[in-house]
Amino acid sequence: MSEANENKEYTWINPLGVWGAKGGNYEVTSNQVSDPSDVWRKNTGYKVPTAKVGRLKHYHIWDNHNEKLWKRLRWWPTRRHLLHVKGIYNRKTLNAEKKILDRRPIYWIICMVILFIGPLLFPSSMQSSLLTAGATFGIFAAINVCWTLIIGTASIFSLATYAVVGVAAFLTSWLSINFGLPWFSLPLIGAAIGFGMGGLIALPALRLDGFYYALLTLGLNELCRVYFTTSQEFGSASGGLYGADSYLSESWSPAVQSHASYYIALMILIGALVLFRFVNGKRLGRILRMAPEKREAFAEACGVDYKRARIQIFILTSAALGLIGGLYTAHFRGVAFSIFSFDTVLLGLAMLTIGGIGKAEGAILGTLVVVFLDRVMIEWGPMRHFLIGALMLASVLWLNNGYFGIKQQFNAWRDKKRGEWRSTRTEKGGEALPEEATEIDDKDDLYFRRYDKMQRDYLKTLITPEIIAEHMAKPLGQHSEALERVLLYFRRAKMEDKYALHRVGPDGPFKIIAFSGVRGVSPRVVEDKEYPTEEAGYHGVFMRRVHDLLES
Amino acid sequence: MDLTFLITNAVIVACIYGLIAVAVSITWSSLGLINLGYGFVFSFAGYGAYLVSERISEHPVLVIAAAILSGALAGILICLVVFIPLHDKQNFTTRGMIATLAISLIGSQSLLMYFGPRAKALPELFGFWKVEIGGLVLTSDKIGIVVCSVIMLVGVVLWMRSSRRGLEIRAMMMNPHAASIVGIGIRSTGIYVMAMTGAMAGLAAALLSQTYYVSPFGGLTPLIKGVSIALCGGLGSVQGAVIAAIILGFTEAATSRFLGGQYVLITQFLVIISILIIRPRGISGLLDKAREQ
Repeated sequence: MSEANENKEYTWINPLGVWGAKGGNYEVTSNQVSDPSDVWRKNTGYKVPTAKVGRLKHYHIWDNHNEKLWKRLRWWPTRRHLLHVKGIYNRKTLNAEKKILDRRPIYWIICMVILFIGPLLFPSSMQSSLLTAGATFGIFAAINVCWTLIIGTASIFSLATYAVVGVAAFLTSWLSINFGLPWFSLPLIGAAIGFGMGGLIALPALRLDGFYYALLTLGLNELCRVYFTTSQEFGSASGGLYGADSYLSESWSPAVQSHASYYIALMILIGALVLFRFVNGKRLGRILRMAPEKREAFAEACGVDYKRARIQIFILTSAALGLIGGLYTAHFRGVAFSIFSFDTVLLGLAMLTIGGIGKAEGAILGTLVVVFLDRVMIEWGPMRHFLIGALMLASVLWLNNGYFGIKQQFNAWRDKKRGEWRSTRTEKGGEALPEEATEIDDKDDLYFRRYDKMQRDYLKTLITPEIIAEHMAKPLGQHSEALERVLLYFRRAKMEDKYALHRVGPDGPFKIIAFSGVRGVSPRVVEDKEYPTEEAGYHGVFMRRVHDLLES
Repeated sequence: MDLTFLITNAVIVACIYGLIAVAVSITWSSLGLINLGYGFVFSFAGYGAYLVSERISEHPVLVIAAAILSGALAGILICLVVFIPLHDKQNFTTRGMIATLAISLIGSQSLLMYFGPRAKALPELFGFWKVEIGGLVLTSDKIGIVVCSVIMLVGVVLWMRSSRRGLEIRAMMMNPHAASIVGIGIRSTGIYVMAMTGAMAGLAAALLSQTYYVSPFGGLTPLIKGVSIALCGGLGSVQGAVIAAIILGFTEAATSRFLGGQYVLITQFLVIISILIIRPRGISGLLDKAREQ
């Protein structure tokens, strides 16, 4: 019973009373009938607070240049596009427009341009240290891109990457020092060494999986470190092996040398990226995308020989790593033992995890961050390794897949939150939940339930002590508008469980029964109470219905 | 004489590295966490013992207790920082391993910043006496190492077998999901496991400090050896770890006797690789089936 109605009492006068109609009250206190459409508006209104601005477009939509609709940049001589462009129609203006679906090539080009003009942007006071750090960055980023191929694409969790590079670098510098090999032969020899080592390390990968293999390769790395540091030929006394031939001529001025080493390191990085693109984006990479971890059996059942593909990638990448090892020797004129140290593996892993394992851009960003902290911020001392460790820990603890996974993770989180908010706003519209509504074939039924609920909501506001008193006084005949509306609703109820009066004796008393709603099934007796007169029985039925209405 | 010397050395090496291997093994099988932070736990415990011996007393019981306690503390720290936030996230195994590596990096750098790069020596814990049994001379530290680690191992195994917490840990080893359904708290069990395994690594640190010094990065070799032994014995199996520790200890002793010290790692890894190629799950790695994470 709503309070608004309780106060609006008025005296209802039976319009038929003028003609002396029988039954019904002639004058009775009743309550004002409110507008039924209020309930309708309340139920059908859209109550979700909506912001004025719609969804922001975070991408640019290009004009379609009319007749140049199909003119696109293509890789000569194929028909492949440089950019993944989709033609769309503007919903409002119906103009043809273009949308770039994959903008990563543009970002890659911008970043590469920045790296290439980098030396012009470096402050002159830090020019030399930044150029040296840049050269280190290029080489380490190339190694990490290859490592990403192994860990990400081939999903072989190998920690022996730096061991392969280091062995190739040590052997090539030894050969170069002892046999005077020229610098251009070093990468080739390094590649051969890497190929051999890759084959050797790949053998256990056929039998071992996941972490057994990771720990084994970690041990292998340690083994290389101990072997090279203790052996006499590889300069156990001097902390490394130096004096190999280099492509950087010593006759050049230091500035030219550092610039040359910077750009050569960038070229090595670009070479590694090309390798990444051609392995990860072509047949081998696609085969392995079919067989991610835990779904190998399915891929195998589909006829994908994922083991073979993994080993192929591993050996190919190891050869590339060996080549980088040879270039490393030719670049730095030798190699230090620190390439085998556990710290190098740790820092390498930090580089991969900060950016996100499995993505070339992740490996490069991570390398940039770690090399910057490690090589440029030297005055910070042990603090910088502390910081690298903290970054690594933070990215592992809070990010599912490193920096470049943030967007995806944020979208997933936002969708989850959206769902939660939506579920707090959703109310039961009518009597059917959205889930069950999809399973009810007769949609009329849904609409009926919804309408019925609104009607009951409205009628509940009309039930007041006045109309109950009015009904008790005269159950039959003309009634006030409020009572009449309630009674009409009651009369229209379904036969199932509809109340009726059962005359027990020839002149009463009366009992309330309820129809079964099924033909041939007799009604049930609702209560034992007996009503002496028919009017008292009518009122008893009315009270039961009022009770049911208020309960529903 | 040679043979007995070899065997005693093998047993001692096996005892120390076996402690870490069993710790790695238990952590992996019950929590599914590959803890590469034991290097940090090891150095942390060593420094804890060093601080006690320097500031409070050089009594061996106190020093060993300090090492065990600080090891357990470091273990709990790793559990709180890595296991509890990460254990229900996706890609837990990889992320957990990398996070423990990060802890080890941060921890070693903090120890380096606080204590400086100079290695510290712990006092002699077991005195200087010798026992001669049938022509075999056993020094006090050898006997002390073996006795301490055997007591610790037996204690841990008995505790795992007979106590309520041990039952919980064993239930987690069998099936972590079912264990959590029947009301075993994954997080609280994680804390027990990490405290216990940290204590084992701490004891190993105190024992190994009889031979080597305590330094910020000194935990690396024991970690790698412990992990390889655990791997070779089969992650998750205590017996396997003990067997592997004996085999590898023997290899180490034999190699340094006949070939020279620098070949130790090479022969060890050849042995490990051959064992793993024959049995990819290690010597008795059966539990690995239960934990497919």
